[in-house]
Amino acid sequence: MKYKLVVSFLLALLVAVPVVAQQDTTLADTSAAAMLPAPATMVQAKDADNDHGHAIDVTWELSADDGQGAGTVLSYEIYRSESPDGPFEQRGLVPSQKNSYTDIGSRDRESPDYFPDYIDFYYRVDAVAADSADRALSEVFGPVHSYGQWFNTGRIPVMVGVLIFAILTILFVTIAKKGRELYVRPLAGIDAVDDAIGRATEMGKPILYVLGLGTADQIATIASFTILGRVAKRVAEYHTKVIVPCYDPIVMTVAQEIVKSAYLDAGRPDEYSDDIVYFVTQSQFAYVAAVNGTMLRELPATNIYMGKFYAESLILAETGAVAGSIQISGTDEIAQIPFFIVACDYTLIGEELYAASAYLGREPVLLGSLKAQDYAKAAIIVLAIVGIVAANFGWTYFTELFQVVD
Amino acid sequence: MRRQLPLALVFIFGVFMIVQYFVPHEYSEWVYEFLLDWITIIGIFALALGIYSLTHVSMGKIRNRTPNWQYAIVTMLGLFVMIYFGFTARTGDSWGLYFVALVALTLGISSLTWGAVETQASRRKIGFAAGLGLLAVFVLVAVFDPSWKFYFYTSEGLQSAMFRNFFDYIMIPIQSTMFSLLAFFIASAAYRAFRARNILATLLLASALIVMLRFNPFLGPVGEYIAQTANWLLNVPNLAAKRAIVIGIGLGIVATALKVILGIERGYMGRG
Amino acid sequence: MKRSSYIIMAAVVVLFALSWIFKAMALDGETEHYITRAFLVTFSAFLTLAVLSFLYRDNPFYKFAEHLFVGISAAFWMCVGFWTTIVQNLIPRLSQPLSEFFEVPYIGGSFSIRFYLPVILGILLLLRLSRKVGWLSRWPLAFIVGTTAGLNFVRYLRSDFIQQISSTFVPLLGTRWEGFGHFFSHLDLSATGQLSMILANWVIFLGVFCGLIYFYFSKEHTGVFGKASRVGIWVLMFTFGASFGYTVMGRISLLVGRITFLFKDWLGLIS
Repeated sequence: MKYKLVVSFLLALLVAVPVVAQQDTTLADTSAAAMLPAPATMVQAKDADNDHGHAIDVTWELSADDGQGAGTVLSYEIYRSESPDGPFEQRGLVPSQKNSYTDIGSRDRESPDYFPDYIDFYYRVDAVAADSADRALSEVFGPVHSYGQWFNTGRIPVMVGVLIFAILTILFVTIAKKGRELYVRPLAGIDAVDDAIGRATEMGKPILYVLGLGTADQIATIASFTILGRVAKRVAEYHTKVIVPCYDPIVMTVAQEIVKSAYLDAGRPDEYSDDIVYFVTQSQFAYVAAVNGTMLRELPATNIYMGKFYAESLILAETGAVAGSIQISGTDEIAQIPFFIVACDYTLIGEELYAASAYLGREPVLLGSLKAQDYAKAAIIVLAIVGIVAANFGWTYFTELFQVVD
Repeated sequence: MRRQLPLALVFIFGVFMIVQYFVPHEYSEWVYEFLLDWITIIGIFALALGIYSLTHVSMGKIRNRTPNWQYAIVTMLGLFVMIYFGFTARTGDSWGLYFVALVALTLGISSLTWGAVETQASRRKIGFAAGLGLLAVFVLVAVFDPSWKFYFYTSEGLQSAMFRNFFDYIMIPIQSTMFSLLAFFIASAAYRAFRARNILATLLLASALIVMLRFNPFLGPVGEYIAQTANWLLNVPNLAAKRAIVIGIGLGIVATALKVILGIERGYMGRG
Repeated sequence: MKRSSYIIMAAVVVLFALSWIFKAMALDGETEHYITRAFLVTFSAFLTLAVLSFLYRDNPFYKFAEHLFVGISAAFWMCVGFWTTIVQNLIPRLSQPLSEFFEVPYIGGSFSIRFYLPVILGILLLLRLSRKVGWLSRWPLAFIVGTTAGLNFVRYLRSDFIQQISSTFVPLLGTRWEGFGHFFSHLDLSATGQLSMILANWVIFLGVFCGLIYFYFSKEHTGVFGKASRVGIWVLMFTFGASFGYTVMGRISLLVGRITFLFKDWLGLIS
């Protein structure tokens, strides 16, 4: 038995040794034959543009063996160190044919990924072949440090827009203040507001004003505030009642202030109470449930919905329609406009909501800014035509004027 | 002072945020982030005003016996019980004293408000006395009963079993049912559009139908054309109209924001 | 209320009480707190039906569900806001004793002063309740409105204005213009070909053009201008219709979800 084992062991050795030996030589042969790839050249690093710092852009010229030459380069590894002699730490990896990398880190000092500003770094890019041991090290570039910029040049188009728009608005507001009459086309939804208040007075029923689900920081809500002010003033003058259930407590606070002022302006401060404008809840559908209930129990002559609306728009508007109220709505939430159009008598579409406050007040300053908006629209049309011609003839520089880069 | 200073604040912060947009430096980012944090924090304080308003209106309904005043009691009960479970937790095994505390607190607050709301002097006294007595019971339980405490564990505070149950079995079902009512309302809205019989409503309904039928398998070969038309509608005229609306809305927002910053539009500020 | 209404209400209450008992019997052995669980499931079924009954008309059950929902949800958001914003994020930065009281880790640091300001502003907001110094509450409001107006001004100017302009720059003559000969020789009449692309680009351009004219406020909509504006509103209506049709299926699936709850979780008729 023992004898058998020894013989087979020896036999196995006889077979195995040459195989192993051969393998050894093939391995040694290939590694000797494999040329190290050519290194990446012209490594450059500089602070990344238009950012808050904590990032450095590294660029290089592709290795001669990337794609061409021996074609062995599969990736580039980007290394960084605080000293030209190392130790180097790997910061990134990009596939072949790519010759740039942004080394970016956190600005939070506590973070493990923190990337300090104003500290000198040195960069090196390794061209790496299939076997990661086969790599060509580039020259070390440095020192370079990152820092935050104080102006984002990529946003210049926006800045030009801001300036032009501000100048146009101020210009037209000044013109309007001087007393020049400005024409505005009639808006059915706006004319309906006055009629609706009259109707409510005749019927002795209240007006329900819904400010929507927006918060006080949304511009649609601010536009709605201005409309509420006008409505409340007229309501106070006519001795009609207005009900304003609110979704957001800050919106409620502002709305109370507005309605109170409106009653004061109309000379009826005694008719105001804080219960006219009240908070319901900050839950979308609980708010809807409550407003629905109010509609069916108080049977308002008119429901006015102005501001931000989401899925609840249709529930509100359909319930109001069933209750037989006249309904006027306005929102800039594109997905909800169709439901309002179908279920309400009048709907202010998108920009009309913003124009409404100017219409209702008829104050020259507010109308003046409408004119500025119209000029901006005309400018868009003109620019679009020029842009289309440019696109047809391949003049890319015109398109590039409007590119905002972050 | 009362009006000029707030308008000046609006201007200063408005202009700051505009300038901030063009400054990528981290100081600017840092200020931007904490200004947004401030808004959230102020919002929570505002919620207290909201709860005050809700309580005030509900109590007013109960006091004046306006129609449906009974339901205002339901609102108040829901409010206080939910707040109770949101701020306390049972740490022991028994529910006994935890509920005693809850009942004492709810009844105590109700009696006090009844006392405040009631017009008759003798009843007021009874209300106040009962309220204070019940609150005393609540405090006694709170101090001497180790089986529950005011819940000050943040992450678990919201997971207190009852709070969760109320959320899962009251808020969620009502919420999703309210949401599902939309299925009925969308049908009645479509019918309303169908009856309107003007060119705009017809256009709206026609394109709605085409889009709705685009995946309908029962239409056979016609379905293919409908699907194509729907795709074209969604990709071409839809894109154009959306762009026009978006540009309009953008202009409206930009103009209104500018008017607010410049103090031209100040309707939101009230007066005096 | 009429006597019959009371009878109906009593009947409904009895029915749901029975349902509770049956549900509890069904759940016995399956879950630990089976009586509570059965009550909760039955109660949420009751609330679901109460809300659905609104479709018929306003009724006491709906009123009950509505008022309960309002109270509970108002408290819910208040508690969530208090614990997540105030306790978890504000207090750890504000003061050590308060952090210990609320058992949250204190992470003060040198800049904690900046968190006192919003607290002061928040308190100023609460002063609204006072008749005398209520006007102070305008300061925090002015802060919020001003900050967000500035933010929205640049944000929308960029996304809804400047970027939208550049996206209208599409070649109306197909690809790049290289003379009539090239244009006609490359004209492709297939459904996805160049002709349909040119057509689509024209429709988009004219659609945007007419849509913008519809939103033009300071010029009378008469003559050619009026016609363009008319086309504009038609295109808008097409879009609204498409959006309407798009939403329908989503809404129906919501209803299916609720019906599944009633038949599966409550009645157990579907497994």
